[in-house]
Amino acid sequence: MTDSRELPFPTFAPDDDREIAQRLARSYRALPVASERQVATCLAAVLDGGRRVPAPRRLARWWWGAAAAAVLMVVVARPWRPGAPLRPADRVVVRAGAVGAPVGSTTEATSGSVRFELTLPQGATEVAIVGDFNGWDERATPMARTPTNGEWSAQVPLPPGRHVYAFVIDGVQWLVDPLAPQVPDAGYGPANAVIVDPR
Amino acid sequence: MTDAELVARTRAGEPDAFGTLVAQYYDACWRFAYHMLGERTDAEDVVQDTFLRAYLAIGRYDERDQFRGWLFRILTNQCRNAQTSRGRRTRRFVQDDLAIAAAPAPPPGLGTSVEDVVLVKALAQLDPLQREALLLKYAEGLEYAEMSAMTGAGESALKMRVKRGSERLRALLRQSPDALDGRA
Repeated sequence: MTDSRELPFPTFAPDDDREIAQRLARSYRALPVASERQVATCLAAVLDGGRRVPAPRRLARWWWGAAAAAVLMVVVARPWRPGAPLRPADRVVVRAGAVGAPVGSTTEATSGSVRFELTLPQGATEVAIVGDFNGWDERATPMARTPTNGEWSAQVPLPPGRHVYAFVIDGVQWLVDPLAPQVPDAGYGPANAVIVDPR
Repeated sequence: MTDAELVARTRAGEPDAFGTLVAQYYDACWRFAYHMLGERTDAEDVVQDTFLRAYLAIGRYDERDQFRGWLFRILTNQCRNAQTSRGRRTRRFVQDDLAIAAAPAPPPGLGTSVEDVVLVKALAQLDPLQREALLLKYAEGLEYAEMSAMTGAGESALKMRVKRGSERLRALLRQSPDALDGRA
């Protein structure tokens, strides 16, 4: 059987190990071609990721504008004054504490393991937890739907220390609990943190 | 349309142009990542991260470089990162029976493996830098100068990695498949 795929296999120099090179070539050719689903999923994630990440150069360009706006806000708006309206971030937290927004919680289930719970009023097909403890792998730690509708949970053994995590809804939407401590974005998007006490 | 034209159109804000680059190079990246990591899902994740990083950094791409070489530089780094994080991830953490029962089935089509499984297992036992050098040299067909520019290692070091990697791989391939699984 011939393979029409164009592969970048080299011409050999005298020192090359032809046997190894040819076996690698055969394995490359035998590997199934990536499916259209794989490529489409990849492209969708790339374009979505590209939309979520701000362009750093624009920050530099607008630094003076941002500084001026901050000064203006401090001098004129005085958001700490009594009766000042809530900022958008405050509203998120307030709504999450009331109804309609996802709310997560963490409790120490047994010594050395933590139970993560998430309430999703909007519903979901699958939910996973990702974090530094599972390599941010969306498939590693699926959460189980509890009998009460909209509640998901997973129990994860965690060694003592600080762990960073987030929830993934239906494999595409990353979610942090607005009520839990959050940590700076280290490349995977916003995340929550949990401390496991070394008792 | 050439890679340079597609890059220019991507920079001009046409995501479809980057889609063409993804469709064009996905397979090559996927084959390399799979042989580097030995795991299909890990390879898929790494390829996706590679294209995302390429997309975000497209403004820094120098047209004098070949797009494929630039992309593979990102890919090799991502494979190294994946190996590091996988080293820390020693086991799956879920102990909740309900959660295990609810885990999604693997995507269809991924179980039909016809590649050289013994070779992939043997590659997995090589030193990662030797594996990377072997694949870049013999599977991707790069010259040592190109490999040096891509990995930051000197040409003589790369030649040594290829030579030692080949010798070690030959020795591993002479073992039984059970020995490669660590069962012997």
